[in-house]
Amino acid sequence: MPPKQNFYQCLGVPRSASPDEIRRAYFEAARRLHPDKNVAPGETEFFLDVQEAYEVLSNPVKRASYDATLPPDKPTASLVKQNILYSRKSLVNIPEAQLVYVLFEYTPNIEGDAPAAPPLNLCLLLDRSTSMQGENMDMVKATAIQVMRKLRAQDTFSVVIFSDRAEVLIPASRNQELNKLEARIQMLQPSGGTEMFPALDAGYHEVSRNLNRSQVNHLIMLTDGRTYGDEQKCLDLAQKASENGIGISALGIGHEWNDQFLDDLASRTGGSCMYVATSHDIQRVLLEKFNRLGRAFAEDARMTFTLKEGVELRYAFRLQPEAGLLPTQSPISLGPIIRDSSLKVLMEFSSKLESGHSESVILLEGNLAVTIPTSPTPGTPISLVLSRPITDDVTPMPPPPEIMDALSRLTLYRLQDQARLEVTKGDYNRASEHLQQLATHLLAQGERGLARTVLLEAERLHQQQAFSEEGNKVIKYGTRALLMAGDEKVKP
Amino acid sequence: MIVCPNCQHKEMTGAVFCSECGAQLVDMNLATHKIHTAETRREIESGTATISPPPAVLQSWISLHIMESGQILPLADRTEFTLGRVAESQPIVPDVDLTPFNAYANGVSRLHAALKLIKNRIVLVDLGSSNGTYLNGTRLAPYVETPVSHGDVIYLGKLKLQLLIGQQ
Repeated sequence: MPPKQNFYQCLGVPRSASPDEIRRAYFEAARRLHPDKNVAPGETEFFLDVQEAYEVLSNPVKRASYDATLPPDKPTASLVKQNILYSRKSLVNIPEAQLVYVLFEYTPNIEGDAPAAPPLNLCLLLDRSTSMQGENMDMVKATAIQVMRKLRAQDTFSVVIFSDRAEVLIPASRNQELNKLEARIQMLQPSGGTEMFPALDAGYHEVSRNLNRSQVNHLIMLTDGRTYGDEQKCLDLAQKASENGIGISALGIGHEWNDQFLDDLASRTGGSCMYVATSHDIQRVLLEKFNRLGRAFAEDARMTFTLKEGVELRYAFRLQPEAGLLPTQSPISLGPIIRDSSLKVLMEFSSKLESGHSESVILLEGNLAVTIPTSPTPGTPISLVLSRPITDDVTPMPPPPEIMDALSRLTLYRLQDQARLEVTKGDYNRASEHLQQLATHLLAQGERGLARTVLLEAERLHQQQAFSEEGNKVIKYGTRALLMAGDEKVKP
Repeated sequence: MIVCPNCQHKEMTGAVFCSECGAQLVDMNLATHKIHTAETRREIESGTATISPPPAVLQSWISLHIMESGQILPLADRTEFTLGRVAESQPIVPDVDLTPFNAYANGVSRLHAALKLIKNRIVLVDLGSSNGTYLNGTRLAPYVETPVSHGDVIYLGKLKLQLLIGQQ
């Protein structure tokens, strides 16, 4: 029997929560745990606890007398360990803006036996447009069937197929009859164009039918094409999905799909966007993704923060478990925390110090909330304060090796990003120069194949003033994969 | 404000890598060196100091021990490595770029020498360098393969390296 939670833990709010935050947390918990909606054993009791907690905490008088009975608040949440590294020990007392890098690491705090793997609520969105004809379609079918065979009794699964229309091929349910479903997938014939919004919308509805925070809710889209005209609708839907605890990931096949759009879509929900050059890799990449979903400890780590005056969050990147660019506006969905690994995020801040000398400066204040599927009542969000002392000493100090290591590889990714930006601005010479710089660094690291592709693209930029679709993706996802090299421990 | 020594691009104070050319802006060697000597001194004082060089990193058949800074570069995956330094607008690129170890100031040529694994034998070849390659104090004739063994000290110009040969 675990020790009884206090009312704050029960609602998943910090001790300093405002009445408004408490009300919101209550509505959220009530929606999730209401007896009419939930049949899982034990959750009705949780709901009664939540009810009781809200009755006390929403009344200022009762809350004050309840607070007096509580032991002093423990500053760190017990579920996830937080480790923060700064690139500099202190900021320098100068009027101009200066940079500081911060590496966040979140590791599951599992004592004794690891909790059981959470159930999945997964929907596959399969592109069946004409361009998928042939090997791609065959491989997608085979992989979807493989995923289906790996499902456990507690997993919910659905499939949506789409071209310019979307159709629910397998409605969301558990314990389905595999033979029938496999036949349905096998019958799939390619036809039509590509429109993503109807597919995402249908997938969202399938997953929503069994939406429940005690499982991993996720959509995975497999596509080789691009959608036209409904991008904004898709992104809005992703935002809604994120707020409801549904992640979206995408697997782009070949060279024609819109990497910028799918990256953006996935990053809004804490999901990931993956690239495969040929049909041979579809199976490996999708199964890896499937395994990662099953190993989730916390489904979504969400950072909510306010920046202090003069501070700007210039760049945010998730290094691990799946490398990907993150948005820079609060709240940020950092993505899942995997049970046998850690979540690592690197952020670049610029800070312009106010005139007048003070001892230290606060960059950011906020918290990190995690949703842990195996523990239905969320823990207290981890409070987060970034601050640095100010000195007059201008001698640069070397950053910790973890930050050096991450930055050395992230710099390469950013070089190609910059080249891409310059191409869209029409500055082909600068873009080509940046690619050449990138190639030199890649050669120095022994990445000969990638370096050759980069040099070919640099040459091509000179002659034809455009990236090739293929080179563009190889470089982007190739330099991104460098970030994962050696970090990602995929267990068979 | 920091000015990149490589491309003269201006970066904000606190930048670690140049956003323009990717060059490292913070000198790491100094800090590594400090830790290294401190540990050695403690070992000597406690009487546990060993004379043998540090063990070579696994999965590489040879590692280069940069004696000035104490850093170790493991070389793996291929059976031949050229040593030298990368120069701007130079099409020839060595497998191992020694630029971070003051290669230019130490007189290392762009393609200075090569290390080859031939069956179980490891040989060192000078590639016609300007300032010569020295093995344990003896200057090698250019383009002649000379066998080397674990712990040998070589000079590329004035850059001093120790060869650490893997056990596998």
